[in-house]
Amino acid sequence: MIVTLHLVALALYGVATALTLAPFMGFRSAPRALTIAIPCAGAAVHVVAVSQLTLVGLGPALSMLALCLVLLQLASERLLRGSAVSFFAGPLATGLVGLAILSGLAPGAETVGARNTWFVLHVALSALGLALMALAFIAAALYLLQFRELKARRFGQIFQRFPPLERLDQLNRVALVAGFPALTLGVLLALGYGAQFSGGLHVAKAQIVWGIFTWVVLGWAVWVRVVRHWAGRRAALASIAGFCAVLLVYVALKLTLPGAERFL
Amino acid sequence: MTGHTEMGIKVVGVNHRTAPLDVRERFAHGAHEVPGALARVMAAGASGGVLLSTCNRTEFYLVADDEPALEAVWSLLGERLPTSGPPTGGAREYGYIARDRDAVRHLYRVSSGLDSMILGESQIQGQVREAWEASRAQAGPVLHRLFQTALHVGSRVRTETGLGMGTASAASAGVAVAGKIFGDLAGRSALILGAGDMAELAATCLSDQGVQITLVANRTQERARAIAERLGGKAVSLEEAWPHFATTDIALCSTAAPHAVVTWERVGTIIGARRRKPLCILDLAVPRDVDPAIAQLENVFLYDVDDLQTVAAQATARRRDEIPAAERIVEEETDLFWAWYGGLGVVPTIKELRARMDDVRATELERVLRQLDHLSPDDRAQVEQFSQALLNKFLHEPTITLKKAAEEGRGYGLLEAVRRLFGMEPPA
Repeated sequence: MIVTLHLVALALYGVATALTLAPFMGFRSAPRALTIAIPCAGAAVHVVAVSQLTLVGLGPALSMLALCLVLLQLASERLLRGSAVSFFAGPLATGLVGLAILSGLAPGAETVGARNTWFVLHVALSALGLALMALAFIAAALYLLQFRELKARRFGQIFQRFPPLERLDQLNRVALVAGFPALTLGVLLALGYGAQFSGGLHVAKAQIVWGIFTWVVLGWAVWVRVVRHWAGRRAALASIAGFCAVLLVYVALKLTLPGAERFL
Repeated sequence: MTGHTEMGIKVVGVNHRTAPLDVRERFAHGAHEVPGALARVMAAGASGGVLLSTCNRTEFYLVADDEPALEAVWSLLGERLPTSGPPTGGAREYGYIARDRDAVRHLYRVSSGLDSMILGESQIQGQVREAWEASRAQAGPVLHRLFQTALHVGSRVRTETGLGMGTASAASAGVAVAGKIFGDLAGRSALILGAGDMAELAATCLSDQGVQITLVANRTQERARAIAERLGGKAVSLEEAWPHFATTDIALCSTAAPHAVVTWERVGTIIGARRRKPLCILDLAVPRDVDPAIAQLENVFLYDVDDLQTVAAQATARRRDEIPAAERIVEEETDLFWAWYGGLGVVPTIKELRARMDDVRATELERVLRQLDHLSPDDRAQVEQFSQALLNKFLHEPTITLKKAAEEGRGYGLLEAVRRLFGMEPPA
């Protein structure tokens, strides 16, 4: 049932992504209502699927991350009055759901405490923090693309369909500023859960290293935006660099450190 | 265009296709002139009138006979032409007339932006509304309905088709490009270099979006002052404008200078002091006002008239693709209006006419039967039946004609005639 629901969500996200990207491939734009209704339907199915998941292991974590990303995409589309975020968020969420299905959605051996509220909140808030970081990355990428087109005086699809620079800059800032407390709470809940219920943290060292690294990178990105008042192109580059660093460190840790089989 | 001359809907006027700018300017009516102009045309026999006057058209929408109301319009417009110079055919030479269904379709095309100089522009919708409101007292029920539906048609076309997509003039393209940098333009500041028509038009477009025009700089102060006063800014000399490149969000350049006036030497350091705050420079002048080297600064977005015309041309091309869909809506709505107009009041008028005639019949019958009191009840019934049959015979042809005219969309004129002939109240 969980897999079937994920497959339905995957199909709906796939259709929504195809509709969103259609104008870039020379097809007519789909009606806006449709490009919103389909991911909404996908998210509804996905919520049902995630509510039945045991949030342990890579598959469930990816599924949760994809769901957060789609919900943020829908929220930011309302904020930006355009579908530009879905150009990136759509394929990313579709890919994440696909990966989640391939990784296996059934709980692993370590399910003790997986229904504990602290644990569920830890997973949900960490996924939300990461999704907001991904959203900041997407806004930054859209910003740089739109910036390049505007500087080069090209008035094609990107100029027409992407939101204004100022709005993308705001989205990047809001996503970072909201993502940091979410991830911080996620990390704190993990520590609290370990101390309260498990008598310590029983996870791979790699997971702790990556979690702390991600938190530091996100904190740095927020610091340069809020304290150092970085904005525009420089802030966009910082967001992209931070997000890429988090991904690279994840891959590097997954490949090199012992205990990687239990690592997210 | 049909050739019948009975009371019906007419549009008579001039537009950007039929008259040059200097003639259109003469024919343009300010809001305060509308009631007087309409009163003159109404005095010539029109039963309803609306005057739509913009910079691109002056059109009288009338419910009238062809003559003399139309003659009154030509005469009224002709008085605005110069009396000196070679004799011409008067205002008629620049104008056109559309009647009935064509007149309805014409207004629908106007309100949709299909008849605009800039295809699909939306300003006309507001102008149609203003014209209707200014002429409300003189419009009459048919034109009220016509203008009300015209606004609905304009909205439908803009909502259901892409006719209003994008921006279709260089000035509005400048606004669109600035919008892609700053998002909401309300509260942004702009300085204007130059005080020509193009500068004024573009500044007005920016001002309409909520941009605060802080400075208007020009070699001659008088013209700059006029624009600055109108848009709420301050008139300065060009030399005084350079330091403001450090703070303004948008610089709109449209001077008549034969060479670049915004040079690296004049503003390079000043713009550099902005750090990373973006500056959008719209150079609408030919030859260009702005040294292209300034665009090398990371925070400067410089667009010349070619760039803006590219944006406008893309929008126009996209809009052209939408013309068939927009024309379909216009045709559909014209059919609906025509069906309403054709059948306007036919049934109640026929009922009222029959009732009146029946009253006359009954009164006369009663009078006659009083004089013929020797008649038997059967004979009296025969006489009454005869009167009824006679009335039906008399009313048969007019009823059929009215219904047929209604079906063909010519009912309103005939109804008016019937109502006048039989002394009935005009329809609500």
